[in-house]
Amino acid sequence: MNNQVLLEIKGLHASVEGKEILKGVDLVIRRGEVHAVMGPNGAGKSTLGAVLAGRPTFEVTAGSVVYDGRDLLALSPEERSWAGLFLSFQYPVEIPGVSITNFMKAAVAARRKAQGRPELTPGEYLNLLKEKMALVQMKGEFARREVNVGFSGGEKKRNEVFQMAMLEPTLSILDETDSGLDVDALRIVAEGVNRLRTPETSAIVITHYQRLLDYIVPDVVHVLKEGRIVRTGGRELVDQIEQEGYESIHG
Amino acid sequence: MDNRVYVIGRDSAPQYLRLEAGEALAMTLVFLPGTGGRYCLEVDLCGPGASLDLAGLYLCPADGQLDLRVLVRHAVGGCTSRQLFKGIVGGTASASFDGLIYVAPDAQKTEAYQENHALLLSETARAESRPQLEIYADDVQCSHGATTGYLNPDELFYLRSRGIPEDEARQLQMQAFLAPVARRLDEALAEEVYASLP
Repeated sequence: MNNQVLLEIKGLHASVEGKEILKGVDLVIRRGEVHAVMGPNGAGKSTLGAVLAGRPTFEVTAGSVVYDGRDLLALSPEERSWAGLFLSFQYPVEIPGVSITNFMKAAVAARRKAQGRPELTPGEYLNLLKEKMALVQMKGEFARREVNVGFSGGEKKRNEVFQMAMLEPTLSILDETDSGLDVDALRIVAEGVNRLRTPETSAIVITHYQRLLDYIVPDVVHVLKEGRIVRTGGRELVDQIEQEGYESIHG
Repeated sequence: MDNRVYVIGRDSAPQYLRLEAGEALAMTLVFLPGTGGRYCLEVDLCGPGASLDLAGLYLCPADGQLDLRVLVRHAVGGCTSRQLFKGIVGGTASASFDGLIYVAPDAQKTEAYQENHALLLSETARAESRPQLEIYADDVQCSHGATTGYLNPDELFYLRSRGIPEDEARQLQMQAFLAPVARRLDEALAEEVYASLP
């Protein structure tokens, strides 16, 4: 951990269709840290993830986000990805007709081009694909399947972590990655995430429950309620929420 | 089964076909950008066991007008016909698809299916679908389906969030939309189709 600030969010307000969801979020994440963002349904947790990734349906009405020294909000979703940001979707999108191989090939090629690195040879790409598939225990035929089409809940989330591994992000945002997973799938997903941790990279784990945080251990825990972070603490906050619920947490 | 591919305006494509007993035909029609005008096709299934597997792909990304009219006539029973058309319509272009499936009296055990899906790229583009069934037999399986829609914005954001640039992501979405028909084309023609997408 080199203590360098990777992400700094100040007074972030965001709306969807005129309804304000984020009402002044402040958050600082340093390199090497894992932050959990917890909160009841409708608190704005997923909105925070979506706004950071640049989802066009949300409008940022106030505040700033500096990521790795850059104005994140000025970047397009693809530029954010090239800069090392990754969002694991709560509801991964099905893309009929596009195979995982071709999807990731396009993503990896675009990123390398943007970073001024040479294209991978087909052999190098195949090796990368195999290595990362092994990380989430995916078999060979997985790469030929259409993106998320006919996938179980667990397969969709493993696919998200696989994509994360392929893109080697600096900041990963895991949006409710635990929802809809049985214990085995949860363990595979969490192990994948843990093995991708480095002293240089950070993660935001968005979750409603403490379950995932038994596997991915956060350094800092935030409680988001009604569009604001009302409490920040250590792991003891997770236990308090588990025992007393979100009602017990006030600003 | 052989799949006959015709690029309309470049190849001389049939306008009338007759399939006799046991005959099977697979045919794919391709309308590249700028084709325009009207194209009519009539197919008669005249002997038991005849089968038609017809697919089409029409690209009108910029302007002009294209009319497709397909009539599939089941004159006798025990025949099968399948149709799948996919179109991309953008700019100020308009495309219309008229598809009539006719099942003659007593042409029992007929199976006839038709689908037409259009993807609109602009607010000013128009796509019309007029599927019709005329059935005079009672022991048949027939269906038709038509959809018209825009590129899915959730898919687009998902692709872009993985670092695929917006233009390329749209291309990928269009290729995926066309894939069920495009996979019937040889590689060179499929490449030509993809390269002609806006």
